[in-house]
Amino acid sequence: MSTPAVAAIRTGAALREALASARETWSETATAGGVIVAGALLAPLVLGGLIATDTLASGAYLALAATGLALCVGLAGVPSLAQGAFVGTGAFAAAHVLRHTQLPAEVCALIGALAAAGLGTAAGFAVRSLDAVRVAVGTWLLAWLVALALGVLPWLSGGAQGLVVPTRRLFGFSPTPLVHYELAVVLTGLCALALVALRRGPLGLDLAAAAQHRGAAAALGVPMERLRVGAFAASAFVGGLAGGFVVQLDIVADPTAYGPLLSFELLVAVLVGGAAAALGPSAGVVVLGLIALAARALGALAGVAGSRFQPMLEALLLLAVLTTGGSALIPAVSTAARRFLPRRRSRARPAAASAPKRRELLRGEGLAKHFGAVPAVDGVSLELAPGSITALVGPNGSGKTTLLRLLSGALPPDQGRIELGSRDVTTATPALRVRLGLVRTLQTRSYFGELTVLEHALVGTNRTRRHGGAVRALVSTPLYRAENRIAEAHAFAALEGVGLAADASRPASELTGAEQQRLMIAAALATNPAVLLLDEPSAGASSADLDRLEAILLRLKAEGLAMLLVEHNLRLLRAVADEILELELGRVVHHARNVRL
Amino acid sequence: MSLAVQVVFTGLSAGGVYGLIAIGHSLIYRLTGIAHFGLGDLIALGAFITLFVAAGTQPLTQETVSGGRMALAIVAGVVACVVVGAAGYFAVVQPYIGRSAIGWVAATLALGFAIHAVLDAAFSRPAYVFPDPIPFRRVGNDGLVEILGAQIHVRSFAVIGVAVAVAAISSWVLQRTWFGRSLRAIADDPDGAAIVGISVERTRALAFGLAGGMAAIAVVVAAPGTPFETGTGALLGLKGLVAAVLVRFAGLWTAFAAGLALGVVEAALGTGLLGHLPGLASYRELIPLLVAIVLLAFRPLRMREAAE
Repeated sequence: MSTPAVAAIRTGAALREALASARETWSETATAGGVIVAGALLAPLVLGGLIATDTLASGAYLALAATGLALCVGLAGVPSLAQGAFVGTGAFAAAHVLRHTQLPAEVCALIGALAAAGLGTAAGFAVRSLDAVRVAVGTWLLAWLVALALGVLPWLSGGAQGLVVPTRRLFGFSPTPLVHYELAVVLTGLCALALVALRRGPLGLDLAAAAQHRGAAAALGVPMERLRVGAFAASAFVGGLAGGFVVQLDIVADPTAYGPLLSFELLVAVLVGGAAAALGPSAGVVVLGLIALAARALGALAGVAGSRFQPMLEALLLLAVLTTGGSALIPAVSTAARRFLPRRRSRARPAAASAPKRRELLRGEGLAKHFGAVPAVDGVSLELAPGSITALVGPNGSGKTTLLRLLSGALPPDQGRIELGSRDVTTATPALRVRLGLVRTLQTRSYFGELTVLEHALVGTNRTRRHGGAVRALVSTPLYRAENRIAEAHAFAALEGVGLAADASRPASELTGAEQQRLMIAAALATNPAVLLLDEPSAGASSADLDRLEAILLRLKAEGLAMLLVEHNLRLLRAVADEILELELGRVVHHARNVRL
Repeated sequence: MSLAVQVVFTGLSAGGVYGLIAIGHSLIYRLTGIAHFGLGDLIALGAFITLFVAAGTQPLTQETVSGGRMALAIVAGVVACVVVGAAGYFAVVQPYIGRSAIGWVAATLALGFAIHAVLDAAFSRPAYVFPDPIPFRRVGNDGLVEILGAQIHVRSFAVIGVAVAVAAISSWVLQRTWFGRSLRAIADDPDGAAIVGISVERTRALAFGLAGGMAAIAVVVAAPGTPFETGTGALLGLKGLVAAVLVRFAGLWTAFAAGLALGVVEAALGTGLLGHLPGLASYRELIPLLVAIVLLAFRPLRMREAAE
């Protein structure tokens, strides 16, 4: 057969497969979303007499910017208060390019979006490892910085009257408000689709895990800092795109339009509509639009401009949503709708399959860590061989957990080196160590409250993925889908290993404490480790739980895993440990070999 | 020389207000672990309630009002701050502390914008002139005195004096009174404080209100110098936050000093004391803001974060 024919057959097969997988993941929600977007496209015909089309168009661009913000707030769980600044950056960058070049309108908007993405990347990098308070403060200061800069730098903003922007054709159409409106709705729909694709994919799981329990996500090697920078960059890009087009609709770039109030309004839209739902931000913008109408009516009654009442009503609405503790609009509607719709059949469970095992030796030499003048770990050397369990015992404060953190990379050692196999990993990040096959579990009971049991294990499998990037998830390439199936099979295998396969679709918050401990072991196993560091896995375990844990550890040992076990329970230690290291004040005071013999 | 003196006094007088707001931000952060994005608007509320009681919403016809009425007005402004601040804390902020960062961020922002919008609706003129609590005009040469060749507003001394006095009283309260000890106990360990019988939430709520009220006093003294807008409060709140961030939400006097320093730096940048670079004056507000963002991002952690 000729090559083009083979290619055609292959393409056909790939398309059929893509169609089948699309049909499989299609749901009532997706139908509803499609209907809503289609309805939005037709809205100007219906509302034509009621609301001016250019008002609708700026509202639609607001929805686009809000959907972009949902990437940060909903997907990554980061309180970003700078979205208005990103929109403004896009608007003014696009305005300058429009004024000084003859580039097409779309290219200018894209340049605006890229400028905003640049600022977003810088902001994301600055806050990549900060806690929520400082992220909020930092982004709030950024929102003010951009607003004040536009206010006081005439070369940037064109002074008080702003920059007048030349109009050009948009995708071949004359740039009427209607064309802007349709474009904004299409872009918002695409952005919402991207949100859905990302949320379902490995990146979405990683982000959800990081948002719900930072420590546990870090232990599983989720590259949180990189994800956060990416979330900021992407949300700024979308915001900047909205800004780049909206100046062309307004014909002028107004320096007062992109202040902290805009950031606040976008946040209100996201929170009122629902940060986690793809169309939530758009619904929130619709609510804001209704508020603007109400404000105008109120203003007419009171004899003042309606715009005075708008922020008040918005703030009151948000306060009402917050005080009632009620869920946002879209989640509330979809929960109500679910009651009336038939429950979807859960998909067929894939056969569990494990990945080929990796076997490595972990060696730590002369490890030391001081906190101030206090030596927490003081010259400890140890070797974890494949197929063995080394127990680490000692009184509280003897340095057991610190040693574990040094080995896993959560803390840098002051002295000493760590080798995994033949590779020096002393300075490797925790995320890299997990990919290389060195993973730990946390001492405290820690899980990702809003994820299901299967999703926990999938967070683990994400570390072994090679085709799980954002772009692949967005276009759902064949490689990406194939890897999804493999990842699910591996996740199921890990759950089976700890006896939780039957609970795969339950929320992790419903499990008992001991089951949650085993779940985190399963998530760690799903990273396909060579070396597993366990911090008190028996905490809160009943006698039956202990038996199960013992069986799991013995099986993992038989499979050739190298394990370090920090444990107080002597019964468990006696049953599984090959070597016992006793720590006191950071030093090894006793080393028992071959305790099983 | 005269320019330097001018800059120092102008800067200290603006900085005294920033300093008190920085103390408020710092106190709130240490008590609850959150940043209050609506604090500036709460302060504006105090200032405008004072204006309302002293002179109503009409344009000012007389330059000063009677001492008794002014005192009453200031008390009313502080009480309004405390009541609104505490009520806002209980109603929307407290439920989210320690649970949802996006929740308290949104709640404090919404409180701020709600207050701002109410003020906007009630006080519809673009800017207001505040009555003087003390008739400064009659002191010196039409309210100005000459020091080392510089013409200094007498009001500057009053603002600096009032700011230092309020800070000193706050410090005394913090060190010597039952309320102050409760605050420090909560800042150290809220659970421990609750165990020894401190009503943590009530104390926090009161502090939320007082943080606005004490800054409002200084604002009222400073306000007659320039036209005051409903949006001025938010900007002052931002300056206070910048000062607090620069010293990582440090103790009372450190935060106050940061505010003073910020005021002087702004004045120095604004008057070209640091050389006449073209257009440097327009950057006077931007540079401290940028420095604060960079410091926030790249300085090591402190206090409760370090423990994690």
